[in-house]
Amino acid sequence: MNTLITITVLALVVLYLGLFKAKTLLLPVTIGGLLVALTNALLQWNQNNQPVFKGMMQYDNYAVAFSALAISSTILILLLSKNYFEKISEHVAEYYTIILFSLAGIVVMVSYHNLSMLFIGIEIMSVSLYILAGIKKNDFRSNEAALKYFLMGAFSTGFLLFGIALIYGSVFSFDLEVIKSYVSLNPTKISPLFYSGILLMLVGLLFKVGAAPFHFWTPDVYDGSPTIITAYMSTVVKTAGFAAFLRLFWFCFAPLQPFWMPVILIITIVTLFVGNITALYQQSFKRMLAYSSISHAGYMLFAIVALGGNSGYGIFIYALAYSAATIIAFATLMLLQNQTGSDSFDSFNGLAKRNPFLAFVLTISMLSLAGIPLTAGFIGKFVMFSNALSQYHIWLVVLAVVNAVIGIFYYLRVVVAMYFKPIDRSEVPVPAYFKIVLLVSLAVTIAVGVYPALVTNLI
Amino acid sequence: MNISLFYFVAFLSIFFSLLVIFSKNPVHSVLYLIVTFFTFTVHYILLNAQFLAIVNFIVYMGAIMVLFLFVLMLLNLNKESEPAKSPLLKIAGVVAGMCLLVTVAGSVKTLHTSNPIVLQSPTLGLVKNLGKVLFSDFLLPFEVSSILLLSAMVGAVLLAKREPNDA
Repeated sequence: MNTLITITVLALVVLYLGLFKAKTLLLPVTIGGLLVALTNALLQWNQNNQPVFKGMMQYDNYAVAFSALAISSTILILLLSKNYFEKISEHVAEYYTIILFSLAGIVVMVSYHNLSMLFIGIEIMSVSLYILAGIKKNDFRSNEAALKYFLMGAFSTGFLLFGIALIYGSVFSFDLEVIKSYVSLNPTKISPLFYSGILLMLVGLLFKVGAAPFHFWTPDVYDGSPTIITAYMSTVVKTAGFAAFLRLFWFCFAPLQPFWMPVILIITIVTLFVGNITALYQQSFKRMLAYSSISHAGYMLFAIVALGGNSGYGIFIYALAYSAATIIAFATLMLLQNQTGSDSFDSFNGLAKRNPFLAFVLTISMLSLAGIPLTAGFIGKFVMFSNALSQYHIWLVVLAVVNAVIGIFYYLRVVVAMYFKPIDRSEVPVPAYFKIVLLVSLAVTIAVGVYPALVTNLI
Repeated sequence: MNISLFYFVAFLSIFFSLLVIFSKNPVHSVLYLIVTFFTFTVHYILLNAQFLAIVNFIVYMGAIMVLFLFVLMLLNLNKESEPAKSPLLKIAGVVAGMCLLVTVAGSVKTLHTSNPIVLQSPTLGLVKNLGKVLFSDFLLPFEVSSILLLSAMVGAVLLAKREPNDA
């Protein structure tokens, strides 16, 4: 609760700073405020919090872990935004405000204890993102991204809302506790409305996390949005979507697993193949990352397919590894876009000679995304696969390993371009802010990869 | 009295919604849709859901229908500009329609008259009760949705505002 209040008040403060033209203060105040929010969140750890406000919100360890992850990733991404928004427009304060609002929505999404809060949280996050996708007003592709995201998002919200309404129609309550007891107390007399409700909510949530066949908006929106917003969408937003997804299914629908598990199983397999195979054919690094985010959504769905005690931990560590590696990738991409103005694979040619540090960090990030041992990505995949194996989804794991191999191919294309295609180029300047972000993400990737006990069984 | 009124209004709803589909002129369609929504409002009042009735009246009949009319005016629909449908599309339409028909027929077969629903408390849909629930049980969602509105407002202004270098 304190975290939510801190972030909301911070957003208003930043809005007022913009009004008084205090542009140099914007970034420090935002980062400082987010650090306060992060501390507030961490203080709730192991407090055994009960639902507050008549069962609307429960800030338990699960919520603490995911909101801390979301806030830290946002801090890292905002550090990259120094001098970025200024190039787009003069209204810099509003951009920070809207990002903070969407973060407030995310805090609601990971800590809800009532379906009405889930809906409001998702809406706050989505509405802010529709705007953020379109902030490059003179760029045609940014406009397209915003409009496409808005139309598709509004459509999927309809599914989600209809699902919530059907569940309310059979349970007569939005409260997760009541829904849980409805499911577990009379498993034989569950109304058909409830099953339809689960399926419709599933569609809505899968859309929000960008899983196939509901992924069609992802490449265009990720490609068209400004790069820093894409970084935000593919890390923080994706993590929050999965946290909300898992919270609902873990808490409420777990006893009905035989009903919805086959659906998610098929969707997982389709998502893996669609994401990985399409990523192979991309010429643009940014678009490749968009498709790879679809395939990572597939890996994260493993936690829901093999729902069990380890699911929360699995999603957490996977999201941590994926966010750290993706932030590195997007930070590098932003630097290169500054220099060459393009985001194709060719702009990486010969980077290792002039910027050995940048090339090294990006290599580690690609290895982590591909799931090579000694990086965090490997631990993430390992936890997911072992969860799935413990529930005897052997074929799923075999298919996933095939996909991981496909993934290695396109991730290593960047590495090959950087190290083995020598082209004379000038050095890419790396500002201090970027160095901090790169170092922190690198440290997280390697630390978790080498010594996973750091975060084992947090949740 | 109540039952016959219900059947009369239900007949009107179906009648006007059929007119929405069958009228050739899109402006007429929209006007019939307004009448259809009005009959829905009457239904809500019959069900004792005052708040829903008022919201339906103001938002659907008022705001959304005006929006529809505006879009129609802007689109400039003509017979000439309508794209000709390919035979394949027509066949697909027939197949889909038949599938729907079979599904509807199948579900109609299992129809039976349900027990009349008795409202547990006759004051259920009154504005007063809704307000009480909104400010007690659902206080937090109610307050948090202010963030949603504020965020949408800031965004709308941001997107609509002219940049100084646009000229």
